[in-house]
Amino acid sequence: MHRVLIVSDERFLQRLVGFALTGLDAEVHYAEGADEAERRCRRTLFDLILVLEVAPFLSGRNLIGRVRPAGLRRPAVYVLTWQQAEQTVLSLLECGVDQYLTFPVSLARLRSKVAEELGRT
Amino acid sequence: MERIFQTYALCATAVAAVLACTTLRLRLARRRAPWHEALRLRYLRCVVHALLEGYGLPQPAAKRTQVRLLLAETIAGVTAATYGPDTGVLRRIVAAYALDELLLRRIRRSRGYRRAYYLSLLAMLPADGSAARRAEHYGRGNRSVRFYALLLRLTNDPSRSIRLIADYPTPLTLFEIGEIVALLRRGALPVAYGPLVASHNRNLRALGLAIVRRFGIEEAEQALLRIVDREPADELTREALFTLCTLRRPLTRRAVTRRIAAMDRTERRTLLRRMAFEGYAAGALRRVIDAEERPYYEALVASYKRYLPCSVRDF
Repeated sequence: MHRVLIVSDERFLQRLVGFALTGLDAEVHYAEGADEAERRCRRTLFDLILVLEVAPFLSGRNLIGRVRPAGLRRPAVYVLTWQQAEQTVLSLLECGVDQYLTFPVSLARLRSKVAEELGRT
Repeated sequence: MERIFQTYALCATAVAAVLACTTLRLRLARRRAPWHEALRLRYLRCVVHALLEGYGLPQPAAKRTQVRLLLAETIAGVTAATYGPDTGVLRRIVAAYALDELLLRRIRRSRGYRRAYYLSLLAMLPADGSAARRAEHYGRGNRSVRFYALLLRLTNDPSRSIRLIADYPTPLTLFEIGEIVALLRRGALPVAYGPLVASHNRNLRALGLAIVRRFGIEEAEQALLRIVDREPADELTREALFTLCTLRRPLTRRAVTRRIAAMDRTERRTLLRRMAFEGYAAGALRRVIDAEERPYYEALVASYKRYLPCSVRDF
């Protein structure tokens, strides 16, 4: 079974995305923020991390470097936020983020993207 | 003297009673919060499943008013964060628990911002047109009530959206325009930017410019330049300049430089902040920025670079 981690301090959005992934042969875990996500990633190797905000990347620390073990391409990191600014998107992709999606999101499309990503592992 | 003392004691007792009631209410609300939260998540799970499966009603059945309100808030939250949901499924849920009737009743009985909140919830529910017709007369309430009554009418009758916005008596604020653009992003409001930007109506033009900015429509450049060149200096001309900035179009054309040169110091600095945010290099703006403003602009560019998401090794 695949493991997916959803990082957000907004519980409603966190669960909305989590419930949309039901039935995907994936075990969904939740983290309230970047610190908890890091702690969980030290214990478990996730296949996909969905970050529902940009804030964890603005702190100046290398979040991708911390959650993704050196030399591995896993876990894939998707960012899903309300922000649309081109520079933010580009700099996040340069940081190592694999996909950038914006709200409002189509649940069916998100589901198929995640299924596709998990199918690759 | 005794009378003064009695009045003082009476006032003190009343204040103490009010404080005690408030504390009790807060404590009760706090105690209820986890129960509400658990039910909200349960309903969220049901609504998302119903949307993905194409059928189903949230369980447990929402009978009490507070629970039905919670369900309405959940559906509104889902609608706000998603696009292209199956409105048929949501409409069935709304009809099964008469959520639109509940909100209309609440709207009727409340006042001020609470009424505006219920109107905003109703605007997010896929209700039938009758709800919008019944809420029509709230267009004469306070500013928030007026705006959310407009939003409700827009979502229920998108074909009349241009007429409704044009007839709206108050200039729309950036926040209100943002709310309308959010409808567009969810695919709930089919309007084209062209007629809006060309319109002489202030609200329609402001909405048109916001759409151009939000969706990065570069084809609108000529229309923006026409506004900057020909229109009198006002809020919309400034907004057209900001829109050109957001599209990252060249700002060295004569019409643009002339308009920027005519701005006062505060307006220029606001525009410079926007330019720095959008990534214009100081060298590319030689014709726009004079020698006095150059160090200010360079400092801005340096500060905005620090706010881009980046990893430690980039510092």
